[in-house]
Amino acid sequence: MHGFWGRLLHVDLTSGRGVYRDLEEPRLRQYLGGIGLGTSLLCEYAPAGVDPLSPANPLILTSAPLVGTRLTTTAKFAVVTKSPLTGFIADSLSSSHFALELKRLGIDALVITGQAPALAYLFVDHGRVDIRNATHLRGSAPDETETRIRAELDSPAAWIASIGTAGENLVRFATISNEGRHAGRGGVGAVMGSKNLKAIAVCGDRATVVAEPEAVETIAGSLRLRSVGSLTDKYRRLGTVANLAVFNHLGALPTRNFQQATFEDAEALSGETLTGSSFSRRHGCASCTIQCERLFKSRTGNGEQRLEYETLFALGPLCGIRDPADVLDAAQLCDRYGLDTISTGGTLAWAIETGERGLLPGAWKLGLRFGNAQGVLSAIRAIAAREGIGELLAEGSRRAATETGGSSPDWAMHVKGLELPGYEPRSLKTMALGLAVSPRGACHNRSGAYEADFSGKVDRLRGDPQRGPLVAASEDFAAVLDSLIICKFLRKCFTDFYAEAAAIVSGVTGWDYTEDELRTAGERIHTVKKLFNIREQWQPADDWLPPRLLTEKLTSGVARGVGLHPEELRGMIQGYYQARGWDEAGFVPERKLEELGIASASESSLHGSSGRA
Amino acid sequence: MGTPKALLLFDGEPLILHIVRTLQPLFGNLVVVASPGQQLPSMPVTLVHDDVAYQGPVGGIYYGLKAAEGEFAFVTSCDSAFLSAPLISHLMAQRADHDVVVPRWEGRFQPLLAVYRRTVLPLLEQQLANGQLRPVYLFDKVRTRPVEEDEIRRFDPDGASFFNMNTPEDYAEALTRWRALHDRDASITCTIELFGVAQLLAQTKEISLALPPDATFAHVFEALARRVPLLAGRVISADRSRLADGYVCNVNGLDFVRSAAAKVNPGDNIAIISADAGG
Repeated sequence: MHGFWGRLLHVDLTSGRGVYRDLEEPRLRQYLGGIGLGTSLLCEYAPAGVDPLSPANPLILTSAPLVGTRLTTTAKFAVVTKSPLTGFIADSLSSSHFALELKRLGIDALVITGQAPALAYLFVDHGRVDIRNATHLRGSAPDETETRIRAELDSPAAWIASIGTAGENLVRFATISNEGRHAGRGGVGAVMGSKNLKAIAVCGDRATVVAEPEAVETIAGSLRLRSVGSLTDKYRRLGTVANLAVFNHLGALPTRNFQQATFEDAEALSGETLTGSSFSRRHGCASCTIQCERLFKSRTGNGEQRLEYETLFALGPLCGIRDPADVLDAAQLCDRYGLDTISTGGTLAWAIETGERGLLPGAWKLGLRFGNAQGVLSAIRAIAAREGIGELLAEGSRRAATETGGSSPDWAMHVKGLELPGYEPRSLKTMALGLAVSPRGACHNRSGAYEADFSGKVDRLRGDPQRGPLVAASEDFAAVLDSLIICKFLRKCFTDFYAEAAAIVSGVTGWDYTEDELRTAGERIHTVKKLFNIREQWQPADDWLPPRLLTEKLTSGVARGVGLHPEELRGMIQGYYQARGWDEAGFVPERKLEELGIASASESSLHGSSGRA
Repeated sequence: MGTPKALLLFDGEPLILHIVRTLQPLFGNLVVVASPGQQLPSMPVTLVHDDVAYQGPVGGIYYGLKAAEGEFAFVTSCDSAFLSAPLISHLMAQRADHDVVVPRWEGRFQPLLAVYRRTVLPLLEQQLANGQLRPVYLFDKVRTRPVEEDEIRRFDPDGASFFNMNTPEDYAEALTRWRALHDRDASITCTIELFGVAQLLAQTKEISLALPPDATFAHVFEALARRVPLLAGRVISADRSRLADGYVCNVNGLDFVRSAAAKVNPGDNIAIISADAGG
């Protein structure tokens, strides 16, 4: 087999045993790798209704066919599990050397179930499975964990992914971190923590073998060249922090828990200002020619801190913080504890507003106010440690609001329990739909719905059912990218994505893979995510947006006076279900399963439990 | 005119500098051919001098081609103040399988706004030896691609590229034309707000532009590239007719404009941003 290894490793932490199992070619052809393969395996390994923080919930790390090839931006891996934050699918990506090393193990997936008797780390060394004591690593930050494990294994070639204090303490939005990057959304770090698994160390020696090296090199060379042109200028010169000033200009920068869509101090936090005043160095993932990461000078830690737009928005304007140094401090704490910065910022913004409205005295006492950095920093520490009010906030905004009661759920800004990213839905209507229907919850990565809003081809301030096909196409496109896996920052460099990507798959695997097959794979992967959610009791009301967005109009910026009417959203959702070929309530009809070939044994567990799928 | 044409003040600088700044974003290497001993301002170009004075256009083309790098060179005179970048790009695009690409405007070849293959050098040398100082003699001997008027008008509707200054009246008219096109007295103004890479390159957040009353976004890009030459080839296309791939215009915070033919309204706030909002 080329591109794939055709097998997975299943480690049961309870028994301490690892078992290798074949992965059949038809399944790989249908689901590719990354998110697609992970979703397929999740359906198989996760018992219906499983408690996300129980030993039975599988934590699945998948590689992908392009990992280890010379194709730029492909050193990535996926983490798929049932989310403790949403109760639905959690699918996150991370990247760099750990991804390459995972592939070098000679497996396409690492499935982890069970629970170690005490804090442990898993070492997979050239195929051998070893579960080691990690109690001495309790409380260590991911970068320290990586250094210490590498030293005690005496294996400089090992690469490590780990959780911080937040994961150990089952904070529902904890991340899994490697080399400063995070599989960030949905609480995959809490699932790892629930297994008493502090870290995963991998060390292998298998080189990815492609079927047609010359053909792949031709495409790879061309993509490398395209990846350093004007299409990626933004990422290469400023990084994603460049978004902040633009979004503010467009009235699309969520501010103070989505009470405004512009921030009066945006200039102080803009990517342009940060680049001019605090830039430290540029960095990037292994095997990447774009190198989008920006490290900025910080006053704490080792003097520099990674920062990208979502972190900047969530710990900045969303909490009313205006000083870049404060945002960098907050980002550093989140990295150290292994916290998803978007959910951290979203949950804190909810807590601040709730405290200011007098419904959460603990938040007020801690100094949580819009604009008060010290309060935010204290709260981040409390969340990671689950101390004081941190115990409540570690549950995420949805659970915290439900427990707090009153009207506070009205301003808990989440979809399906996942906090919203930095795109204001009222002034980006296609994005509003994308956020509402995403299987992962409020997510900006599993579709690029905002692209339509920035295209000039639709009215971004007014929704209509025609957005449905746009969002569906964007989700399928993202599913393909996330399964191959190719970085989204390369997406605009393709002249004809499906044709070129099909040629890549063919060249790597030796299969005669067509554009149509790739399109169908994207739709299939997305559909199976939805089917998993349906199995886990998804209901039509879950595809919806927080009440604030549907009742309050924007009060500032160019979109001042614009709101989002429930009927406007409902019309878009109906347009989306129609475009997907689903029924009016959003369930997937049997004929769609047949059309997409979703009937294999791997998905058999999907059928029958919802009564509708 | 009392002053060498190359040194006539135009848009606040010697005319030769104006031409060099116009051509710089389009070509990697520029060659300026001066008469023997002629003093010129310091410029980022390769400067060569005629061996023999007064050999007319053929001499200039010959010495320029000789010093040029690459297989082809675009040749123009130092008094072509209204060069059209889109027209030059079009001429360059026609060069395959030809030795000369030369426009014909109002029935006459324009050899000083043309593209030459360096292989014509021996023929030019021969012409100089024979005293044939008109370039048109060359065109019959090599594979010449004439570019006719209707084709030219697609890129330079009024043929402004062919406007030369041979008399004080021509010079005065050129200044008047320039003011009408670019001065602050022009009838509309708009504000360009630069974000991201554009802001870093320009080292400013905002630029005010004066534009003709019927200005389109193509005028905006041309005027902006003239004001901030570093943007050409990076944020604005090298021929200055559109934004580079990866960039987009937003007008007044609301509408995204992708067509360079779209009209600009007085007072418009035009943001130039990355077309990719991901992150």
